[in-house]
Formats: sequence, C-alpha cells, structure tokens
Amino acid sequence: MAMEQTIYRELKATPGVWQMAALLLAFLAAAAGAWFYMEHHGHAVTGMDNQIVWGLPHVFAIFLIVAASGALNVASIASVFGQTAYKPMARFSSLLAITLLVGGLAIVVLDLGRADRLIVAMTTYNFSSIFAWNVLLYNGFIAVVAVYLVMQMMRRLDYKWVRLAGLVAFLWRLALTTGTGSIFGWLVARPGYDAAIMAPLFIVMSFSFGLAMFILVTLALFKLNNRPFGDQLLVRMGRLLGIFAAAVLYFTVVQHLTNLYAAEHGGVERFILLEGGIYTLLFWGVQVIVGGLIPIALVFLNPSRSSTILAAILVVIGGFAQVYVIVIGGQAYPLEIFPGYEVLEGWHEGVVNPYTPSIWELMLGLGGVALALFAAGVGAKVLRVLPTNLSDSNVAAKG
Amino acid sequence: MTKLPTHTEKKLGLVIDLDTCVGCHACVTSCKGWNTQNYGAPLSDIDAYGADPEGTFLNRVFNYEVAPADGGSSQTVHFPKSCLHCEDAPCVTVCPTGASYKRVSDGIVLVNEDRCMGCGLCAWACPYGARELDYDAGIMKKCTLCVDRIYNENIPEEDRVPACVRTCPAGARHFGDLGDPESDVSQLVAERGGMDLMPEQGTKPVNKYLPPRPKDTLDKQPPKALETVADEAKGFLGWLDKALEKL
Repeated sequence: MAMEQTIYRELKATPGVWQMAALLLAFLAAAAGAWFYMEHHGHAVTGMDNQIVWGLPHVFAIFLIVAASGALNVASIASVFGQTAYKPMARFSSLLAITLLVGGLAIVVLDLGRADRLIVAMTTYNFSSIFAWNVLLYNGFIAVVAVYLVMQMMRRLDYKWVRLAGLVAFLWRLALTTGTGSIFGWLVARPGYDAAIMAPLFIVMSFSFGLAMFILVTLALFKLNNRPFGDQLLVRMGRLLGIFAAAVLYFTVVQHLTNLYAAEHGGVERFILLEGGIYTLLFWGVQVIVGGLIPIALVFLNPSRSSTILAAILVVIGGFAQVYVIVIGGQAYPLEIFPGYEVLEGWHEGVVNPYTPSIWELMLGLGGVALALFAAGVGAKVLRVLPTNLSDSNVAAKG
Repeated sequence: MTKLPTHTEKKLGLVIDLDTCVGCHACVTSCKGWNTQNYGAPLSDIDAYGADPEGTFLNRVFNYEVAPADGGSSQTVHFPKSCLHCEDAPCVTVCPTGASYKRVSDGIVLVNEDRCMGCGLCAWACPYGARELDYDAGIMKKCTLCVDRIYNENIPEEDRVPACVRTCPAGARHFGDLGDPESDVSQLVAERGGMDLMPEQGTKPVNKYLPPRPKDTLDKQPPKALETVADEAKGFLGWLDKALEKL
C-alpha cells in the first residue's frame, strides 16, 4: 500500500477561531447558569412534569448521541470499506464522534434529578435495564474510538491494525445506536414506541444526522482556517447524505405502517399523522418535507456545493424535529385508562399532555451542542486531525 | 442485576371500590400527610398557596366523565390512582441502577432512595403514570403501601393499614393479601368482579378495582306513565267534583 501523503496540521488560532470559541463559551456559560437554576429550584421550573418526563434537553441529547455514532461514518467508510477519498477526514470524524457524544451525555447527566449521583450509574448496574447497557455502550464507545483515533495518528503502525480498530469501532457504534433506539423500542407502556424497528430506525437516523453534522462542522473549521475543501468531494458526500436521508424516510414509512397495522397503536398514529397539532406539523412539515424530501431533491436534482451545505443544514433541522416528535410526541399522547369508554373530562388524564419547553431547557440543550463543538474545535487545535488540503485535485492524486 | 421475584410470599395490595368512592380526596391528603411526616424527606410542594400549585403525591384521585363507546348515559367516575405493585413491574426492570425493586416477602415495589438518580425512565415505563419525580429531592417517589406503618408495632393494630385505607370515609379502599384466596380482599374481588387496570399491558397489577355499577338507564327505558291510585268519584260527589272543576 502506498504511504499516506496527507498532511495534518493543528487549527491555526485566527481571529475567526477566537470569535467562534468566544461564542461557544458564551453558550456554555448560559448553559451552566441554566443548570444551576434548575438544580436549585428543581424540575418545577422546567416544562417537564410527570407526564412529559423527558423534555427538550433530552431531544438535544438524543440528537447529539445519535449524530455522534453517525459522525464516525466517514472514518468507517475509509477504514472498514476502503474508500480512500474519505481517509484524510477519518481522524476528525473520530474526534467529532467523541465530542458529540460527550455533549449529548453532558445534557443527560445535568438533567438528572440528582446529577451528583452519576457515580451510582457508573458503579451499579441493573443489567435488565437497557439504560444500564447504554452507560456501558457510551463509555465503551469513547474508549474504543479514542484508541482508534490514536492508532490512526500512529504513522508507523501497520494499517491493518487501524482497519481492525475501525471495524471494532464500527461494530460498537452499531451496538450503541441499537441501544439508544431500544430505549424507545422496549418501552411497552407507550403506544408511540414499543416497536423493534426503533433500533434500525435510529441507526439510519445516525447515518444521516451524523454525516450532516460532520459536513457542517468540517466545512466551518476549514473555512475558519482557509483550507480548501473540493466541490467534487463535497458533492459526493452530499449524494451519500441524500441516500441516508432517503433511508430515514423509508424506515419512517415502515415504522408508521407497522403501527397502523396494529389496532392498539392506531390512536397514537392518528395523533402524530393527523390530529397532533404541533407534532403533526413537525412531522410532515419539518421532518418529512424540510428534513427529508427537500434535501434529497437538492443533492440529486441540483448537485452543487451550496446545495450540499443547504441539504446538510436541512437534515439537521429535520432530524431535530424527528427526535422531538419521537420523544415529546410519544409522551404527549395520553395513556388509555378506560378502553371502550370515551373520556369526556379528565384532569391531565386521558387528554393530550401539554408541554411548553422553558428557556432553561433550551439553554441547557444548546449548551450541550456548544460543548460538543467547542471540544471538537479544541481537539482540532491541539491534535493533528484536520488535513491541510482537501481540494479535489489533492484528493484525486491520493485516491 | 435487579430481578423481579418469580414468586412472592404475599401479594399485599389495595382493592378500590369505584362504585362507592365519592372523590373526596381524603385518601390523597392522608397519604401526603403520613408520607411527609414519616418519609425520608417531605413530599415537596411548589407554590403551595399560589395560583398554580404543584407537588408530589403518591396517590391522586382523577375524575372522569365517561361514556360507553356504544352509546348510553355518561357517568362520573372518581378514580384513585397510585402504584399498583405489579407482579411484572416494568419500573423495576428498566431502572439502570437497581434502585427500584420488588420485595419477595410481601410483593411491595419500593425505591431505594440512596440509589435513585432521578433519570425518569421508570416513569416512562410505568403504564399507569404512578411514579412522580420529587422536585426537591430529585428522585422518584411512589406509593410504599405505607410499609413504615403496616408492620409498625408501636401503633394500635387497627392503624396498621395504609393511611389512605384508614382514612377513607366511604369505605372504598381495602387492604390485604391478594395472594391468599381466603383473604377478605380476595373474596371481595371475587364477589364484585374486581378488575386489573389495563390488563393488556401484561404487568399483572396486584391492586384491583371494583367496577362502578351502571347508574341509570333512563335513556334506554323511558319511565312508565303513572298509574291512577284513587278511584274516580261517582254519583253526587262525582257531579260536584266536575262542577267545581268547571269553575
């Protein structure tokens, strides 16, 4: 095998980099303030209650966790599937996967009723709980991908070991997203979930959201350091994003068709697809059209640099809406206490559970995103993970 | 690993009579009182005297106006709801730290408050919405079946029942071993056709509900016309009666 010629250099501290860092630190400070406020006053100051147990922070967290495993795709495509064009981006792909996961987990931990008891979750496991398995999967993912990243950076190491580490990381990421999807898939009590398809659905969601996040973050860092990123390479990644977005739509169709086939899930399907108000609007308007059909049309009908960037932005927006509909919409739909009877009046029971996210939840969620991006930036600043040149001629010469 | 016991020595639970419950909330306040005075930490109240009070309750009464799907009269049902201490309790199996557990000795489902980190997954998994996050303590709280009361030999024997049962003025709440077919509660369930709540969930709740009886059938069977109970007057009195009516 030809020796790799890609030159990796740390991010240069340009004024743009400093400005971006300052902006992200402002978000982090706001999130810290929001967390202290919620910690002091309890969850009473949030929009969450005993019906909507997981709220906006968890939407951010799950989006980031799902995107984290997907961000590793680029490295997997290079190491496991042998696509050399993706190889120069593999290091940063690994780094971003770790930081997105850390950002998502930070939100989950800070939203716990007792965040100080994280140590209990790390030391006491109930293995019949999918949540306990997820703690192991998340921690293991960080460790496995960190080793994979280090091995990629060891230039003298035989590439077969990198490939092996990449394979382990790829399999681990599949397990991780299966675990995240199974939190919902194994929730029998809620008619909006309780479906085996949630695990593969989350895997394709991760492919799509993760690649979109990778494209946007990488392009932003390249822009901040004036490093070239080739149009052809970007359009190629855009096409892949389009395929992933189409796969998400396909699995979404199957998810809802499966639910429609089961009579006991008919009510929640009617709620999400027709009568759910904001959830119906988010599903059709944002998830399906803005986050699915339009990006697919953009990358296949008008493949260009700007189309790909716009498609990636729309996939992120649509993905966020999809997670919102799954997490909040699934809880908003009421449990049926009296089958065969119509509930004419019920105090918070038998009616759609209202939820209005508070500003504190939004600040905490955005803080998680800021943490992921800030950590990725710091990583790119101190580690040689970003290539200096991804112009089409450069990539083609190596490919 | 926190496993659900395959068999419990007793199945302590409640039998709630929806026919006699009048929705007075006495069980709610006595539950709150007992568990605030004797629990590890008081059940929190937020803005208790304000416009929008919130708080943690281990037992709530919901009021429904329900109508049969096939038509017929609607009726009001007062529906007290607390943990049903399920045999196949999903809240126990989903708890990542094993803080939720079911006791082998009596089947009561409890939360180890030192292990709970307030992740809320048990509240998702419970199909009955019987778990509440205490805003002050940051942990999950639920009905303990007054475990600190029913075995307490320092209180009079008649008080060794859950506070909600002791206080119910309508006698709508009953406590006992539902695993013993000879117990009063088991016989009451058999006699009145006691039901599981949402049996399709497969959680096998220990608590049972006695269904309300249909309240009226006016819409289906219009009342009969009143029958004449007095004979019509005849003769002179009959003539006089008619003459006076004409006036």
